[in-house]
Amino acid sequence: MKTRSFSQSLLFAVTLCCSTTVALAGSAASLKAGKAELKSAGPLAFGPDGILFVGDTVGAAIFALDTNDRTPGRGTNRSFEIKGINQKIAALLGTEADQILIHDVVVNPLSRNVYLSLSRGRGPEAVPVIMKAEASGKLTELSLENIRYSKVDLPDAPDPSAKDRRGQSRRLESITDLKYVNGNVIVAGLSNEEFSSTLRSIPFPFQAANKGASIEIFHGSHGRFETNAPVRTFVPFDINNKPYILAAYTCTPLVTIPVSELKPGNKVKGTTIAELGNRNRPLDMVVYRKGGKDYILMANSSRGVMKLPAANLDKYQPITTQTEKEGVPYETIASLKGVQQLDKLDEANALLLMDDGGSLDLRSVPLP
Amino acid sequence: MEGGSFIVEGWRPGPDAPASGWQSIFSVYAGDNDVPPMLGTYTVENSRLVFRPRFEPSPSIRLRAVFRPPSGSPVEAVFEPKHAKAAPSTRVEHVYPSTDLLPANQLKFYIHFSAPMSRGEAWQRIKLLDGQGVPVELPFLEIEQELWDRDYRRLTVLFDPGRIKRGLYSLEEAGPALEENRRYTLVIDSGWRDARGVPLTGEYRKAFSVGPALRSAVEPARWKIHVPPPESTDALRVQFDRPMDAALSMRLLSVLRDGVPVAGTPALAEMETEWRFVPSQPWKEGEYSIVVDTFLEDLAGNRVGRPFDVDVFEQVTKRVENSSVSLPFRIGR
Repeated sequence: MKTRSFSQSLLFAVTLCCSTTVALAGSAASLKAGKAELKSAGPLAFGPDGILFVGDTVGAAIFALDTNDRTPGRGTNRSFEIKGINQKIAALLGTEADQILIHDVVVNPLSRNVYLSLSRGRGPEAVPVIMKAEASGKLTELSLENIRYSKVDLPDAPDPSAKDRRGQSRRLESITDLKYVNGNVIVAGLSNEEFSSTLRSIPFPFQAANKGASIEIFHGSHGRFETNAPVRTFVPFDINNKPYILAAYTCTPLVTIPVSELKPGNKVKGTTIAELGNRNRPLDMVVYRKGGKDYILMANSSRGVMKLPAANLDKYQPITTQTEKEGVPYETIASLKGVQQLDKLDEANALLLMDDGGSLDLRSVPLP
Repeated sequence: MEGGSFIVEGWRPGPDAPASGWQSIFSVYAGDNDVPPMLGTYTVENSRLVFRPRFEPSPSIRLRAVFRPPSGSPVEAVFEPKHAKAAPSTRVEHVYPSTDLLPANQLKFYIHFSAPMSRGEAWQRIKLLDGQGVPVELPFLEIEQELWDRDYRRLTVLFDPGRIKRGLYSLEEAGPALEENRRYTLVIDSGWRDARGVPLTGEYRKAFSVGPALRSAVEPARWKIHVPPPESTDALRVQFDRPMDAALSMRLLSVLRDGVPVAGTPALAEMETEWRFVPSQPWKEGEYSIVVDTFLEDLAGNRVGRPFDVDVFEQVTKRVENSSVSLPFRIGR
């Protein structure tokens, strides 16, 4: 759910529609059948044509999986409710609910089925699993044994001399979010050693030669330029017909970054457009349109779900003075508590993974 | 149950599954309540219906196999869980930095465990207490991914950068997590489960006091190099001017001779203020260099040539640079 749907990406990428059509044919052809050997399954994002991107932090790779799930979901008045989905998945996989960690939840924009990345087990031997949930409540595993897929390895440590007992570098770059934007997979990562937060733009179909070098984002905040702060979650968004990404940082500034600047090796200046308060962790964002106006819906650790108007984002003056809660105004949706994951189910509904006292419920709510 | 498979004995299945699937005839459930049956594959082998679960079921879960013959009443077999909980044996081995005097803008802790740990509960298990024993509110960057190494034996805990950077914390809410001239204790809860699901052997505490913030770039030119004699395997010793990040100084320093890396073993000493390098072969007389990757950080995230806080965008070079600094030295006369 950390993703804006592909159909939405198409909407904002009006100027890029022709090249996107070409990319569809190319992307489908680039996948080869075989066993997709994921070492972990983290952030998810849907790309074109039912292709699901999976961030594999432990394997330091991004996988593109053909879900073969392209039958359009019908109707617009959808509802979705699976209570205790962690308990149900645990039973399917023959284990206890506390041995299931759900890492991400996304909606396939074609079929409107829901995909979850999770691990069965909590230790280093945990097995990555991708599950599909349908509105009927049916849960199935997306088998990785024989699937059309492709993968791209992320650059690992420059000098793997500090090793663990398996002889591997102890350095890992956690993938914190990924999205498909106009033929590129944009990946946010955070190292477990040097304090560097990277944003990579990787062309899809994947090519061995272009893994997407890291981009450094600087954004003004309280009169300082913050460098290398970790991006927690981001969504593609169009401002004046130009594609941007809207990124939420750790101490919750919202920053806009032009997609055109996301080139390997660049240092990019992002613009802080909102401060949403300190001591808060943004978890997930979606962008949607209601009553002819664009909005951003953001799930947070301590401030519930926030709704922000997304019109005229370019009109807000960049925030550069020490202050809080300035820039884009927001309202908090009090009824939505314990939201861990958020995606857009369709044009009128959001899909949420909510923690209800240890039981995780997957359910839809009308977009506010 | 045989070797992880569940078999229906005394009933001859047809060669083909019924229209509603074998699962409609034979299901195995993990757990007691109204749960869906386990995923797995069905085969007919030697005229017996065999179910192989997708995953070997957890030994601590109750299994229930239900056979619903096309005619007749269901037959149920229950496999009770094996409660063989191991005794606690995993402990916190060390927390870096080793020093008990941290800068006010300390950036991270590395928590090392003696055995692989469980993911998903770190933020409930790590607390920072102030001098009065009161927990500091949200001092760390609680990212749900948890920054483990591949073995889950080392966890990297970052202080929330929003509470470190100058001027970044808000006026409305409390300031930095660590304040100068105060004492704190990092507490690691014994309830934290290792990869087997067994708690730690005990609580771990690291008490420390806080000194001034450290806001200058790392300058390798200020380090002192103690050169060993030729034909010895004595350690080359590099004295830093401040404690350095433990993981990065183990990874980002190397010794070169004529541009070729010298084989040997690095180590840290003196509370990460000294880097030692023992060569695999005795030192030869000649020109060497210590190569320092500019990603090396001190305790506050200041890098070689670049402090943690960068105030002015224009001062930053236009390209991301991953370069190195070379410190030449000579062995022998």
